[in-house]
Amino acid sequence: MTEIKDLNRFWNAYKESRLGLIGLVILLFFVTLAVFAPYIAPYDPHEMFKPMEHPGSDHLLGTNDIGQDILSELIYGARVSLFIAFFVSVVSGIIGTAFGLLSGYFEMFGFFLMRIVDAFLAIPRLPLIIVIAAFMRPSIWNLIFIFIILGWPITTRIIRSEVLSLRTRNYVEAARMVGAPDTYILMKHILPNVFPLLVVRLIIEASHVIIAESSLSFLGLGDPTAKSWGMILHYAFVYPTIFISDLWMWWMLPAGLCITFTILSLTFIGYALEELVNPRLRGMTRI
Amino acid sequence: MTTLLEITSLRTWFPTRDGIVKAVNAVDLKIEEKEKLGLIGETGSGKSILGMSIIRLFHPSAKINIEGKIVYKGKDLLRLSEEEIRKIRGKEIAMILQNPTTSLNPVLKVGDQIAEAIQLHQRLAKRAASEKAVEMLKAVKIPAPDKMANKYPHEFSGGMKERAMIAMALACDPSLIIADEPTKGLDVTIKMQVVKLLREVTKQRSMLFITHDLGVAAEVCDNIAVMYAGELVEYAKTEDIFKNPLHPYTQGFLNSLPERGLKPIRGMSPSLINLPDGCRFHPRCDYATGICKTMHPEMAEIGNGHFVRCLLYDRS
Amino acid sequence: MHRITKITGYVAIILVVLSFNFFLPRLMPGDPLSFLTGAPGMDMPIVLDEETRAKLLTYYGLDKPLSQQFYDYMLGILHGDLGWSIYHNAPVSDILIGALKWTLLLVGTSTALYMVLGILLGAISAWNRGGKSDVGLLVSLLSIGSFPPFFLGMLFIILFSVKLNLFPAFGAQTPFMGYSSLLEEASDILYHLFLPATTLVISHIGGVYLLMRNSMLNVIGEDYILTARAKGMAEWYIMRKHAMKNALLPITTMIALRTGFMIGGTILVETVFAYPGVGRLLFDAVTYRDYPLLQGAFLIITLVIIAANFVADMVYVQLDPRLRHD
Repeated sequence: MTEIKDLNRFWNAYKESRLGLIGLVILLFFVTLAVFAPYIAPYDPHEMFKPMEHPGSDHLLGTNDIGQDILSELIYGARVSLFIAFFVSVVSGIIGTAFGLLSGYFEMFGFFLMRIVDAFLAIPRLPLIIVIAAFMRPSIWNLIFIFIILGWPITTRIIRSEVLSLRTRNYVEAARMVGAPDTYILMKHILPNVFPLLVVRLIIEASHVIIAESSLSFLGLGDPTAKSWGMILHYAFVYPTIFISDLWMWWMLPAGLCITFTILSLTFIGYALEELVNPRLRGMTRI
Repeated sequence: MTTLLEITSLRTWFPTRDGIVKAVNAVDLKIEEKEKLGLIGETGSGKSILGMSIIRLFHPSAKINIEGKIVYKGKDLLRLSEEEIRKIRGKEIAMILQNPTTSLNPVLKVGDQIAEAIQLHQRLAKRAASEKAVEMLKAVKIPAPDKMANKYPHEFSGGMKERAMIAMALACDPSLIIADEPTKGLDVTIKMQVVKLLREVTKQRSMLFITHDLGVAAEVCDNIAVMYAGELVEYAKTEDIFKNPLHPYTQGFLNSLPERGLKPIRGMSPSLINLPDGCRFHPRCDYATGICKTMHPEMAEIGNGHFVRCLLYDRS
Repeated sequence: MHRITKITGYVAIILVVLSFNFFLPRLMPGDPLSFLTGAPGMDMPIVLDEETRAKLLTYYGLDKPLSQQFYDYMLGILHGDLGWSIYHNAPVSDILIGALKWTLLLVGTSTALYMVLGILLGAISAWNRGGKSDVGLLVSLLSIGSFPPFFLGMLFIILFSVKLNLFPAFGAQTPFMGYSSLLEEASDILYHLFLPATTLVISHIGGVYLLMRNSMLNVIGEDYILTARAKGMAEWYIMRKHAMKNALLPITTMIALRTGFMIGGTILVETVFAYPGVGRLLFDAVTYRDYPLLQGAFLIITLVIIAANFVADMVYVQLDPRLRHD
């Protein structure tokens, strides 16, 4: 009962943010594309027609160099990009939170873990991903694996510092005093309090993953069997006449805009949520 | 004596997401030249906001609604532009903010923080302003002032920070000092030193002394105004407030002092967003009758410059 | 003490990266040469001639025990030996040194620009919170920051190079051009730098802006800002002198971390604009599966980032008098 009430209150505060609403609408649009891709897309994205067809009634956005319908590729591409982003942000969020809770609560463990986190954070993420991806067979699951390995440390650091401040609160001290077990305190008192922060983190991580995935794919390190928006851009970019003809208008621009608007929607949602979570930002700028 | 500052029906409201915070409501107050006026009340009574309203010490883009009149030396401060009021702040009316630890900028040298105001208002060169800043530190009895001027706030002790705040306020020789809880958080010996210093440096000036420390107020002030829930409830000479408190809130406040038995007033002070109807003190008042719940009393003079806002003394 | 821990940390990170570089090719199934010639899913198989193959074999030293290999590898690094590039058929270190100056020019200019602009705009935005300029800056910077750098670069090429013919689309210099003066050379270099640098600045300014804005919003509520206002100081002066320095303190390290993201963006931008820096080399190395070059480029990029973090630490100590010891 209280959960529903909390959700309601949360939604009421959230919908006051115009940026947050715009972001949500855009994201829902792409999620719909991804979920209902087989019903929305005019063709199978792997089906080959006449190559390099200009936009027309048969192919609204033309066909690519091997004759695949670009519009269908885009619609199916939403599946790949969003699935990777969603999966990675949730799994690395769970791992990061678990480590964050433990390292915030148990000091020695936290100290050692933070040294590892520091090392992870000091190494440039995209170059590292590129190097690892270059050595591995390019497949969706390999990409997901790399992103998870590199995604959890930031979450851990954020959750840990929140736990450290929560730990000194009276109700946590009180629960400890009466001898409540550590797991009980972590699950009952600390986890619910770090949850809002975690949601913001998940959204931001999702947008980072989308940028990283599209960057890798753009560099030619994506999974060729599951074409994401970044892969479409890769093939367009390496095509010799992309810049000097009108090809870019239907081959490059739509895919780029799909990535841009997905990141935009996540950025807006993330900002709106952060405004709700951060009391200093709250109540000042509601846009 | 001539009036230095006269506040008439001052109202300061802040619209927030949860409602309007009615921090200051219909306040009338006068400060004579060289008068030390104490403004007393609990945390959240609006007394600090009242002090800040006088020189409009709010961020320019903050949504704040100030109405009424604040006449200083014949000028209504509320009608001045931002640019004009800036020339009053620090120069004519200086404010000592509460909590010197957070009120001094941690990344700037203390001497520079004093000198910048001198440079601005007295149009002195940087060098001369720095020398004047050292003089000010000396005037508030900081040892080795020329050395301390080059130190950062974290190298000062609590009492020294408070002295530095006082030096900063005195730097441009203002006519009125608004001191907001200058003794809060200081231990007894240091508190008494600061009080002594304040009395010394304000001999030739006026001061609005905002505090919840009645003992200190008694040491410093000529007159005392008591504030509750955004409005004044009693005003009298310091002596009269202590010997003959009229308002039940003032009586309760005095009884909560350690030397009078530490009896706290029951209940909690109301939120400034949802003020009670009628007398704002009635939910906590032992003498409240039915009429107190509906009728909002006016400030009335009982005699000899002693004003009170309470229906118990309503002679009509 | 603080400084010693920090430096130990940096050394540790460099060691981690070096070990990572050493073990990654050796942990892959088969030996480091087998995946060179026939890794699955590769765009183009690479045919190694005998000479190159011999050079690679000696570099990796696969016939020796692992500990000996590691020792030789580390010793080689200390002597500046990063291996032999398969694609360029030249020492990796030589190729990297040639490319590094372009990357440093590109990263240096854009970092300086996006940091100064981001910090300034963030401060102005926060100072006018809720006002028109704040809302306008926030929405526009969040929006342009959403363009992936490679897409933004491609759009710029189409707009400014192909359509308007204002700036060159690729390279760092006009090919085969004999410069008659230093000034001419410098202006040609700046001319080529403009689009890639602008792309990097635009795609990274939003992050710094948002950090600064949030940090500034925290500072605005501080008591010392009120003190400055009570002294009669002008708003612009308070922002500059009292607020900005304090707002920068908690975010210096985070801004330094952004240099890492920034380098990631450089790989993409150099690729799009065919800018001959380390990032472009990394892309080439990926395309041609030139692993020694790939790892060398990765090492250099990491070193640049560690240097940036080191600078940030120094700046931080200078900014905060509470950390300065005399």
